[in-house]
Amino acid sequence: MRFTSRIILGFVAVALFYGAAFAASFTATLDRDTITLGESAQLALVFEGGQPDNMPAPSVPGLSFGRPNTTSSQNINFNTGQINSTISITYPVTAERIGRFIIPAITADVGGQHLTSHPLRLNVEKPTAPSATAIDSGDQIAFLKLSLPTDKVYVGQTVVAQLQIYLRNDVLRSSQPQFTGTPMEGFALGKNGGGSQSQVQIGNRVYNVTPIPLALTVVKSGPLTLGPFTANLTILVSSGNQNNNPFQQFFNQGEQRQLTLATETLHVQALPLPTQDQPTNFTGAVGDFTINSSVGPVSVAAGDPVTVRVQISGHGSLDSVTLPDQTALSGFKIFPPTTKIDVSGQLGLDGTKTFEEIVTPQNAEVHEWPPFSFSFFNPDDGKYHTLTQAAVPLTVKAVSATTLPPLAKNAAPENQMPADILPLKQNLGSVGRDSVEPLIAKPIFLAAQAVPVIAFLAALIWRKRTDNLANNPRLRRKMAVAQLVQSGLVDLKKFAMENKSDEFFALLFRLLQEQLGERLDCPASAITENVIEEHPVLRNAPKATLEGMSELFQLCNQARYAPVRGTSELNLVAQKFEKTIRELQEVKA
Amino acid sequence: MKTIILLGALLFAGTIFAADAPTDFAAANKLYAEGKFPAAAAAYETILQTGAQSPALLFNCGNAEFKAGNVGKAIAAFQRAELLAPRDAEIRANLDFVRNQVQGATRRENHWQNWLGTLTLNEWTGLAVGAFWSTFILLAAKQLRPALAPRLKNATLTLLVLTIFSGAILAVQTMNHFSSSTAVVIAAEATARSGPFDDAQNAFTTHNGAELSVLGRHDGWVQVADATGKNGWMSVKQVAILPGA
Repeated sequence: MRFTSRIILGFVAVALFYGAAFAASFTATLDRDTITLGESAQLALVFEGGQPDNMPAPSVPGLSFGRPNTTSSQNINFNTGQINSTISITYPVTAERIGRFIIPAITADVGGQHLTSHPLRLNVEKPTAPSATAIDSGDQIAFLKLSLPTDKVYVGQTVVAQLQIYLRNDVLRSSQPQFTGTPMEGFALGKNGGGSQSQVQIGNRVYNVTPIPLALTVVKSGPLTLGPFTANLTILVSSGNQNNNPFQQFFNQGEQRQLTLATETLHVQALPLPTQDQPTNFTGAVGDFTINSSVGPVSVAAGDPVTVRVQISGHGSLDSVTLPDQTALSGFKIFPPTTKIDVSGQLGLDGTKTFEEIVTPQNAEVHEWPPFSFSFFNPDDGKYHTLTQAAVPLTVKAVSATTLPPLAKNAAPENQMPADILPLKQNLGSVGRDSVEPLIAKPIFLAAQAVPVIAFLAALIWRKRTDNLANNPRLRRKMAVAQLVQSGLVDLKKFAMENKSDEFFALLFRLLQEQLGERLDCPASAITENVIEEHPVLRNAPKATLEGMSELFQLCNQARYAPVRGTSELNLVAQKFEKTIRELQEVKA
Repeated sequence: MKTIILLGALLFAGTIFAADAPTDFAAANKLYAEGKFPAAAAAYETILQTGAQSPALLFNCGNAEFKAGNVGKAIAAFQRAELLAPRDAEIRANLDFVRNQVQGATRRENHWQNWLGTLTLNEWTGLAVGAFWSTFILLAAKQLRPALAPRLKNATLTLLVLTIFSGAILAVQTMNHFSSSTAVVIAAEATARSGPFDDAQNAFTTHNGAELSVLGRHDGWVQVADATGKNGWMSVKQVAILPGA
């Protein structure tokens, strides 16, 4: 086993020696000799029979060599017994300009030999759009189309150019196009959008079409050119050796190609905006617009701000829409407007531009915000149009001169910051003390606030009492009798002092009747001595009270027959009456 | 006899200082007219230190302080004048003018506070008390003369609403007067510190005339907050403190 291995190794060593000793070669080739600007060619440096000792680095002005890709392989010729080793170094080559380039001879040392390649020629041509015939034939695997809706435009007009990428349906995949040139003399590129892909049939082939709309604004007059737009595109197409074997179709990776596409050049005539019939307030708006405005508030004092909002809506370049100069408007101070643009659509050509400006009427003579006009040029009909908003009535009140005479006298001109403070006051006015507490902090002031509350409560109580008496006749009688008894006692004592026996007992009898009548709730005239024993109310009265009353009634009866009594005796009777009557008042009725 | 003389002196004290004030006021005005603004400001301050005050006196004092370069003192004087005469357009105009000269963030009254400030605290008190008394007098009248009740019903209801409304505003303004103060920076540049100490860390710096909310006080220091919400402590010597209403 060990012997066999040694034989094999020796064979290999001899074979390698022979291979190495075989004459080495070096060739340089381009995969094609003509490319268009933007395309790339492949420069292959192939070394056979040995490895290069130094890696040649090609360098040509106007050409760019990308990162090299190195591959190596070895082939054994079993007929001759020779082993051929091949090393291939591939550079992608792109051109920076159109022209004819020579890649000079490249020298490399391989296995001790000094080898030189042949010079190579590379033509770089301007990319051109394929002819209509070529397109119609269906041979073009991909191409670009550029179109404009019109060949006559106006300065300031915004047009939408359509750039379309056509890819034949045998393209399996494609990269995003890398645009290498978008010449547009006299146009300003705005936003671009993207549309939905569609399919069209050209000749016998079907193409997938990807539209790219471009917003272009004409910035100068005269003959303008648009294009050619050029773009690099990497595509993957199915290789041509497909057959009906699904297995092979599944594993078919396709063929990658680098393409350079170009559009045709479009020629456009840009017309200046006509000077004839140009409105004086025209500020350069080109498109088709409508206007809407609002003014508010409409009732203000002189110097107060009024907001004027102008909305210009429509199709066109809204960026270039400005308001007419309004600085000359008399009676108003106008502050610079603020603007806001709301656009719709991916190209931003339709929308609304809102101007909001603050204006201040300077005096009460201003009666309206004047009519507002906006002019624009419509390229569709080639005419100027003027839109007018009617005047808005304003009610402007003068700043009161009567209420603020010193201020009016000293004030700076309206709507300007005063230059200085107002002058001194010459009249000292009423002088107070700074240590005076506010009223709300004074206890006596706070206490005084109880007065109306107390007054109200007193009135309320009085009212309640009055109502109570009005609705209760027994109570009213009780109070009247109590008052009568009170005054009657005074009279009794007076009669006693004066020794008027008849008057004394007459009054005593009447007072007894009144008090008993009130207690028993019956007329006083119906009260006699008999009720003391008969009336049920008096059955619960103390016995001493009842006896006292009986005695008083009897004294009254006796007085009719023996009227003369002394003062002291009458006073005793009066005291007895007072005691008895107090006890009677305590009896529950 | 001595007691009578003392009482007389007390009774006429106001008249005595009132008699001197116009003379001193005119003298200060003359200094101002001569362009001697610091002297005029000092003269007005002297009158104010006697305890006398009037909107005109504070207004002129504010003018003199402003002309003397003391923006903060001027704002404080105009604010005090406005507390006495809230509807004086000249005071408002000069206060606004001087406020515009102040650098940096400063506290400003909102619309609600401006509206409340159209009446003084005593005027709000008078309005509320007048409505309160009137309401109870009408209520008492209805008790005493029930026949008048139908005719007094609407007036009573209106006065009751006015009482509640003016009473609520009076409560707010009283609270503002006693618990919400404003500090006006009167130093050229004042530094608020994180605590009531000289060596405390700097919290923020304000300029002459900046108006700050007073949050609290402690031993010669006042805690303030600026319009952006930053707060710190300042020495009372750096600010003039005004009542909130």
